[in-house]
Formats: sequence, C-alpha cells, structure tokens
Amino acid sequence: MAETDFSDPKYYTNRELSWILFDHRVLNEARDKSIPLFERLKFLSITASNLDEFFMIRVASLQDMVNAKYDKTDIAGLTPTQQLKLLDPAIHQLVELQYSTYNRSLLPQLRQNGLQIIRQHEELTAEEAAYVDRYFEENVYPVLTPMAVDSSRPFPLIRNKTLNIAALVRKKNGKDELEFATVQVPGVLSRIVPLPSEGGVRKLILLEEIIERNMHKLFLNYDIVCAHPYQIMRNADLTLEEDEAADLLKEIEKQLKKRQWGEAIRLEVEADMDKRLLKILKEELRLDESYIYRIDGPLDLTVLMKVYALEGFDHLKAESYTPQPVPELPAGCNLFEELRKGDVLLHHPYQTFEPVVEFIRQAARDPKVLAIKQTLYRVSGNSPIIRALAQAAENGKQVTVLVELKARFDEENNIVWAKMLEKAGCHVIYGLVGLKTHCKITLVVRKEEDGIRRYVHLGTGNYNDATAKLYTDVGLMTCSEAIGEDATAVFNMLSGYSEPLVWNKLSLAPLWLKDKFLYLIDRERRYAEEGRPARIIAKMNSLCDRDIIAALYRASAAGVKIDLIVRGICCLKTGVKGVSETITVRSIVGNFLEHSRIFYFQNDEHYEIYCGSADWMPRNLERRVEILFPVDTPKLKERLFHILDSLLKDNVKASVLQADGAYEKAGRRGKPQFHAQEAFCREAVAQAKAAAREDGGVTRTFIPETHQEK
Amino acid sequence: MSVKTFAAIDVGSFELTMKIFEFSQKGGMKEIDCVRRRLDLGTDTYFNDKISNEKMDELCRTLQEFSDRMRAYKVDGCSAYGTSAIRETKNTTIIQDQVAQRTGIRINVLSNSEQRFLGYKAVAARGETFGRIIGDKTAVVDIGGGSIQLSLFDNDTLVSTQNLRLGVLRIQEYLNRFEAKSSQAENLIEEMTMAQLGTYKKLFLKDREIRNLIVVDDYVSPCIVRENGSDAMLTAEDYRVFQRRIRSGSDTQAAMALGVSEEKVPLVFISALLVAEIAELMGAERIWAPGATLCDGIAYEYAEKNKALSGLHDFEKDIIACASNISKRYMGSKKRSETLERIATTIFDSMKKVHGLGRRERLYLRLAAILHDCGKYIGMVNIGENTFQIIMATEIIGLSHLEREIVANVARFNYSRFVYYSEQTGASRLDRDSYLIIAKLTAILRLASGLDRSHKQKLTGLKAALKDNRLVLTVDTQVDITLEKGFFRMREDFFKEVFSIEPVLKQHKEL
Repeated sequence: MAETDFSDPKYYTNRELSWILFDHRVLNEARDKSIPLFERLKFLSITASNLDEFFMIRVASLQDMVNAKYDKTDIAGLTPTQQLKLLDPAIHQLVELQYSTYNRSLLPQLRQNGLQIIRQHEELTAEEAAYVDRYFEENVYPVLTPMAVDSSRPFPLIRNKTLNIAALVRKKNGKDELEFATVQVPGVLSRIVPLPSEGGVRKLILLEEIIERNMHKLFLNYDIVCAHPYQIMRNADLTLEEDEAADLLKEIEKQLKKRQWGEAIRLEVEADMDKRLLKILKEELRLDESYIYRIDGPLDLTVLMKVYALEGFDHLKAESYTPQPVPELPAGCNLFEELRKGDVLLHHPYQTFEPVVEFIRQAARDPKVLAIKQTLYRVSGNSPIIRALAQAAENGKQVTVLVELKARFDEENNIVWAKMLEKAGCHVIYGLVGLKTHCKITLVVRKEEDGIRRYVHLGTGNYNDATAKLYTDVGLMTCSEAIGEDATAVFNMLSGYSEPLVWNKLSLAPLWLKDKFLYLIDRERRYAEEGRPARIIAKMNSLCDRDIIAALYRASAAGVKIDLIVRGICCLKTGVKGVSETITVRSIVGNFLEHSRIFYFQNDEHYEIYCGSADWMPRNLERRVEILFPVDTPKLKERLFHILDSLLKDNVKASVLQADGAYEKAGRRGKPQFHAQEAFCREAVAQAKAAAREDGGVTRTFIPETHQEK
Repeated sequence: MSVKTFAAIDVGSFELTMKIFEFSQKGGMKEIDCVRRRLDLGTDTYFNDKISNEKMDELCRTLQEFSDRMRAYKVDGCSAYGTSAIRETKNTTIIQDQVAQRTGIRINVLSNSEQRFLGYKAVAARGETFGRIIGDKTAVVDIGGGSIQLSLFDNDTLVSTQNLRLGVLRIQEYLNRFEAKSSQAENLIEEMTMAQLGTYKKLFLKDREIRNLIVVDDYVSPCIVRENGSDAMLTAEDYRVFQRRIRSGSDTQAAMALGVSEEKVPLVFISALLVAEIAELMGAERIWAPGATLCDGIAYEYAEKNKALSGLHDFEKDIIACASNISKRYMGSKKRSETLERIATTIFDSMKKVHGLGRRERLYLRLAAILHDCGKYIGMVNIGENTFQIIMATEIIGLSHLEREIVANVARFNYSRFVYYSEQTGASRLDRDSYLIIAKLTAILRLASGLDRSHKQKLTGLKAALKDNRLVLTVDTQVDITLEKGFFRMREDFFKEVFSIEPVLKQHKEL
C-alpha cells in the first residue's frame, strides 16, 4: 500500500471559505429564535463587522496577490484568482442571508416588541417628517459637505468605510443634463435618531434617510432626480498581512508600482439604486460587477450595535453576568502572600479579571517590588493596567513594557498610551523587528527576606479589562521558580539579549513552539501504534497550519482519538478515510467569544495540559512571539480538563464539522441540553458563594488567648 | 537580611554578559538573571589594535543598560572584568576611563592567569560537585580562544597549572591558513596539538594518574549542558558518542542538533576534539562540563571577599601548593622554606598594627618565602636576580601580574640591595603603593632570613611581641645562636628604616 501523503491539498479546506462558514455560524445565532431578540441584533451586527474586517484584510490581500501576479497555491491547492472566484458567490450568499434575517425575522419582531425602525423616510407621518426636518436643519446641515461633479470639479475621493449618499441632480433652469453629486453621512452624529413618541411603539430612523429626505436643501439650484446611500471599501491596508509569506512581500515590493493603492474592492448600494447613478459609481471607481453588493436594507449593519445599546429593552437581552470573585484570591488579599501558597488558575469571564489588574496595582505600591515587566497587545481605552504601570514607574520600580504597535487596527491608540508610559519613566519597547509580540506575560520581581522571588501571570488573552468580560480566556498566576526564570529570559530576549542556554517550562514561538507541538502530537501517535491509550484535545481560535494538520492526520491514521474545539477557521477535514476518521471538530459560538487556547495530550498515563497565546496557524507559530505554558498542579490540570470536557459535551452552542465540510448543530441524541458557557457561569457563582461562606465561618470564630507552656 | 545581590559583568571578546547573583547562607550562590549581547570587540582589537568608536558607543550603551538593570535589582556590589579584547587593545586606559565616565562601570582588566583563575573559581562555584570531584585525581582544562590552560588537582589541592598555546581560534586560524578541507581537519588538529601535549605529558603530567577531567569553555560546554544539564558527568564512552555526533553531518545539521549558530560549529568541533585528546592523554574516565562562565567566577570571588558564603574552597592553599611545586621544580629546600615561612609570618602577625597589611599581603610574604631560593638552580651568585627572573617567568594561577611582580621583588631583595622607588629602571611600572608593600615585606623577610642564617632551623618555638618601639623576638632553644644574632643585627637596619621599630632577639634558656 502506498503511503498516504498527508499534506496533499485535497485533504485541506481553503481558509477563506472556512472563515465564511464561521461567519455563517455567527449568523445562525442571529437566526436562532431561542435567543433574546436584542442578542440576535448583536450577532447580526457582529457578522457585519466581521465581514468588513475580512474584506479589508483577506480579500484585499488576495487582490494584492492577483495584482502582483503571485500565483502560489494555498493549503488547499488554490491560486489567489481561484480563491477570489470561489469567494465571490459565497460572500454574496452570506450578505443575502444577513439581510433576509434582518428584514424577514428581526424587523417584524422588533416591531412586535415595540420598536420600529423606519425603513424609508417616505413612511414618516407628517408630524414626524416635520420633526426630522427640523432635526436636519439644527444638527445635520451645519456639518455636511455636499460635493457636485462637473467638468471643473473632478470626482471626489470617497473615503474608505464611510457612508455616503449619491444623487443625480439637474440644474433648475438648465436642460436635461444630469450631474453627479455626493455627500458624506457625518460620522460625528449618531446614525440612529429616535423619533418622539407617546408611549406604545418607539420609532427610530437612520440618519442617511433624514439627509436623503433633505437633499434638495444641499443643492439649492438643482432638482434632485434620485438619491441613494452607498458605501465603499478600499484596499488601503498599508501594511501587508503577516499571514502571507515573506516571498510575497518581496514580490509586492518588486511590483509596487503595479499595486493600486486604495483601489476599491467593494461597493455597497441600496438595492433599488437608479441604474444611471450606479453606472457612474461603477465607472468612477473602476469596479467589476462582482464587487457590487445590492443591499436590501440599511447599509452597514454594524449600526445594530447602537440599537442594541438602547435603553429600556433589557427584557429582550440576555441576563447580564457579573464575573465572579476568584476563591483563592479574595478581594483585598495580598496577592503575593496568596500566590506563595500555590498556583492559581483564572477562568475569564466567568471569574473576574480583577486579580490581574490588582496584581499590577499591588506590585506598583509594594516597596519590595523591584521590577514589573509586561507585554501589551491590545488594551482598553482607559486601562487601569496602564495607570498602574505608570504609577509603578513613578514609585521608582523598573518597569519594562513591550507594546505591540503592529496590533491590527489599534496602532494609533497604542502609540498614545505608549508615549504616556514613557513619560512616566517606563522603559517601552515598541515591538520587535519582523515579529509581532502576541504572548501575554507579566513578571513581577520582588526582593523578599530570602532573596529574589518572581511572580508571573501567563494568559491566553490580552491584558484588556474590557474584553476580559466578553472573551473566554484562562490565566495562570504562579511564583514557581522555573517559570520565573523562564519569564526573565523571555523579557531578556524581548529586550534584545541572546537566548538562554536552557528553558525550564515555557515553549516559545517562533523559536521552537511548533516543533514542540509536532513532538507532542507525534508522541501520541507513537503510543497509539504501541497500542497504548492516546488522545488529543485541543481548543483554539483557528487551525490552518499545514504541518500541524498533517501531523494530526498521521496521528489519526495511527488511531489517536482527536477532539478539536476550533471557533473560527479550520482547514482540517474530518471523516476522510485513512486520514481523519478519528478526528472531530466542533465550533462553539456563544454569548462569550471563545478565545482560550488549551491543549491536552494524554501521554500514556500522565496527561499533560498546556495553555498559550498561539493558535495552530503559521502566523502564530512562525511570525509571532508566543508562549505555551504547561499547567502542572494536579488540581488545576483537572480544572482545565473539566473545561475541555464541558465544551465537548455542549449540545446547545456547538456546531460539528461534517465530512462534507458543512457545520451542523451538535445533535442531542436524547441527552439533556447542556450549555457549556452557562454551566461555567453557574459553577463560578457556586464556587464564589462557597468561598464566601467559608470565609464568613472563619471570622465568626473567636480565638481565646491561652497560656502557652514553653 | 542575610541575602546579598551581586552583578558580575564579563566584557568578552565577542559577547557582553551580565549575571545577577544572590548569596545567602541557606541557599548558597544562585543565579537569578543573565543577559548576553553579541558585541565583537575582538576583531577590532586583533586586527586594528584599537576598539573603534562605533563599538565603543555600543559597549557603553549596553553597559548602561546593565547598569540600569543593576539598579533595578538593587545590587549590593558589582564587578566588571575585561578579557583579551580589552587587555590587548592599545587604548585600554582610554576605554576604561570613557566607560567609567559614561556608565559608572569600572572595567578591570584581567591578565591571563587571573582569567584562568576565575574560570577555575567558576567551577568551584558549583560547590558540592566540585568539592567531591577534586578529592579524586582531577584535571581542569580551560579552553580559550588563544590558549588552553591545564591544571592538575590532587587531594583537594591544585598541584600544577600550565598554559599551552592551543586556543580554539588560534587553531581555526591555522586551519584557514592551510586551507584545510574539513576531512583533513581532524588529522591536522591532532598533529598540531599532539606535539605540544606530548611535551606537556613528559614534563608535567609524567605518570600522574587522572580520573576526572573538568572542561571549562564557551564552545562545547554549552552544548553538553543543553543536552545533559550542568551536573551530568559523562563517561569517556558517552563523550565519544557525543563527539561522533558533531562530526557526522554538515555544519547546518550539527548547528541544528547542538542548538548553536552555524558559524560556531567549527569552534565547537575543535574544542570537542581538544577535550577528547586531552582526556585520552590523561586517561580520564569521566568528563564534567559544568558550563561555568567567567561571570560565575567573578561572583565566586565576590562571595569570598565578602564572606557571603560558607564552605568555600580554599584557593590560598592552591596558590601555596602551586608555589611549593615550583620551588620543588627548582630544587629549593622544603625545610628551609617552611622555617622561613614560619618565622616571617610570625613576625608579620605580631606587627599588624605597624605595617597595616592584610591577608593578601601575608600570602605574598609566604609565597616569597617559599620561592626565595629558586634562583640557586641557576647559580649560587646573583641568587636574588635569578629568583626574580624565574618567578616572573612562571605563571602562578590566582596571582595577577602585579601581584606576581610584588612577590618576585620581595624574593629578589631578600638577597640583593633594595632598589628604591626613585631608582627604578627598566620596564616595571609598579605604583608607589605596591612598592611600599614590597619594602615592608622585604624588611620582614630579610629579618626572618637572618634568623635562619645557618639553614639549620635552630629557632624553634619563636615568639614575637611588640613592646613600645621594640619588636621582641624570643627563641626557646638551647643551641648556640651566635651566628643568627650576628646576621640579625646586620639585617635589622632595613627593618628599622621601614618600620622605625627596633628588633631585639632574646634567647629563653630553660636550664
């Protein structure tokens, strides 16, 4: 029998198509009638912002490759041109489903629940019309910049991702010559405008409808023939995606002149836009038909997030969950003292992120602390962590912060507070040349009675107190000497020093994290071949590394049972005979964004569990600084296993990848309903309560003073 | 708090290293941080004689970072040592001064023997394992760029140490010059080294039996440590297996397997081969590469000076043993040396208040006493000058060049007329303070030799006591000491001149 080539492209799914399936899964949440109505709005909004990002990053990148005549095939053997060809219908289909969900399902239900979103200004009552016109004159008119196009005024630059209204206008006293005019819907004003109502149904109208209604006031000497909103997206990403190969970068540098900067890659227009108007846009923006999306409803559905935020509809939202205190680290405790008692595992957002913030805060104040070192990827706007770090520097601690400026979309934000940290006296490192620093690690060095002791926090999620309420992540807090030494070495390397001779516990990308994973996977394969128990459970956000997938196939062929929990992209195919029959893939899309990366290897009888910042993607394993850390304490290992086990049991939010490449909701097969995220919430509440009771018990005990014999 | 923190900086030829250590009675010596940065100062020094401005700036920048880090750790002390690149550059003092001005770090320059000694201390810093292993017959090979140092231990004590010009970079340079193919390399290296090693064996090793070989280097040790840990003792067979692995495959494969950069592979190869040859030559059964670095040695030295650790190896004993071996080589009289050493130290100890010298100077005095008559090997006249030349030409591990010069001068002036500071001629660049030490020690040693003029060790039970302006030396003996008394008076002038103390010899006769 010929040996199977596990890296044959036929065993792999294209990552972009797999991504579309992921957005479909999110869209399924918006379509799920068992979910509170406003949550469904939120999910629909998320699918839209996801798709925007997908266009800006992935489609733009494919477009670049096509322009550069770069035709290397992807993991599934497709050239960039072929990929774009396959994506086009898939995206159109996704968009159609978005709007049919909105129009057929969500809009009517909102109406039933007392909220009406007015689709067209023509539907306004006379009273309401008068209100919006006044609103226009008082608030909107002063900030508008109408632009007309004629022989002396060229077609203006339409800015990326802005909402605009295009119109065909005709001079009042002129002949029938039509002119093109456009006006940007101002981003400074709220896009949703509530209308006055007396009890009963609340009504909303979108800003562009108000402007459209009042177009004639902008072009006084003209008649408005027609006016329709439109939005474009440009390939304006100045930096290349890190996912792409280095040889692409070279190719593009060579072809730089050929690259059309800021070329439009998507045009969204109202479905019933006047054909003449559409033709002008199409020609001016030089767009093919496939780039045009005719939208039956409001453009840019991310506006629904604003609707979600409306007050008074709490009964239509999911019950809000408060992250619970961590029993091992009660509020007000001295974290360093508690950590000396043993390692602590944090499970966010079920448990609060507060101990992590408090860790920095206490370190900043503690006179024994000598140094604080931290990597920051994306932080929240008004971050308490940044404040604590600045405070620490002012208190004379040595504070080293690695700020990743290359974090997508966050550059500007990052620069601002990085400057602020520098001013406070922190040593700020602005990333590493050629590598994105994605690992999440904090090191606190403390000079104690018996010498230096290092406290370390390692996590799977960013140091962002806001997203920590929404993303599921795990973190380990420890003062283990071995991890402390490694953490020091990590920061030494990030500061530009040479690699240490030996690492104790941590595995680092891009050094040899990938080799470590390949080794761990292969070890299971060997055990399986020897007839010993062998199993892998791995949870991550995306899986698209060819070498890893090939290793998984090889392990599966040897009989290793492999269960993968992959939220997003998955290039691995399940159920292929002789290749992946023992592999299952499930994706959990729930109220919280699944974000933790946890890896279980049965390792005969001594199972090992690792957590880390890296997905099984080439960019994580090869072009980022990532850390994988083992969790050794038996109790904590059990907890992590419980997390994986619960997610595998989920039959409410889980979808399972089928052999045909589609995802289907996990079947119940007579089992009771099990919703893992909800179960974690309940467990966290119960644990916190139990801990509080125990605590109370202690303080109620009197301790009598007794005479002690020496 | 009984914990002390210390920073050790090694300004090497190709790399700057800083290690932060913690010392405590309980935990011993513990490395808590280590930063290394590549900086090639060597090429500048070796090919242009001077360190360039660019390198200088980079050196200062990195040392400034080191300095910030030291501050963060709130270190109790710090030492920075420069090796050959700093030692051999023409502008050493300028570099030292600039670095001190810009970073506050004073780089001390190490002589070869000091550097070797620190390397040896670095191994000693491994504590228990070191203590256990040197109890047996052990050799230490310290492989550097330019030369290697072979030291032999017996019974806890260093007995001999020799420098051979067989450094890794030097051999590499020869290979390049001969344009040797890699297939020939091994034979060529063997031929080159065996000649020298053979002589070494004839002269120094003789039929001494060696069980353990300790390896100190920056090439092969890191690889061994990476694979086996720093406490692993390899058998000769283990080592051969390891060496075979380096040999097989291309440099790229070897680099991958060893976890070193490809350019370093040939150096690892040479070092590994040297170790193998030496192990074979000595018949060593076990090989230990603890991966000790200069920084470890610097820290160990700090711990010694500050009594930050207990149970330290007695290096003074090694130095004395080394000197005794040199004396033996030149047929010095062991008995006479011992007597002289005893008398001299008795006088030294009784006069602490007057001479104000410390433990280290006492060691110089002992060494001068042990070595004082080596010159006789060459001829019975001019003993002082001959002795001086022999000591200056012999490496004594653990002594800096300056220290060796002090010892050599004390031994010299024991016989020759004392040359005053202002009368100095020749290449010596001794400073006034060192010169004063020479004068004081010479005065004591001269007086002591006077007391043992007959070389018959008559003066047993010598007691010394300082009373006002007199140093009263009482001997408890029945024999006639007229001769001694005579010489004593002849030699007391210089003593009086140096200390303004009058030595008086009394005989305590028990009847």
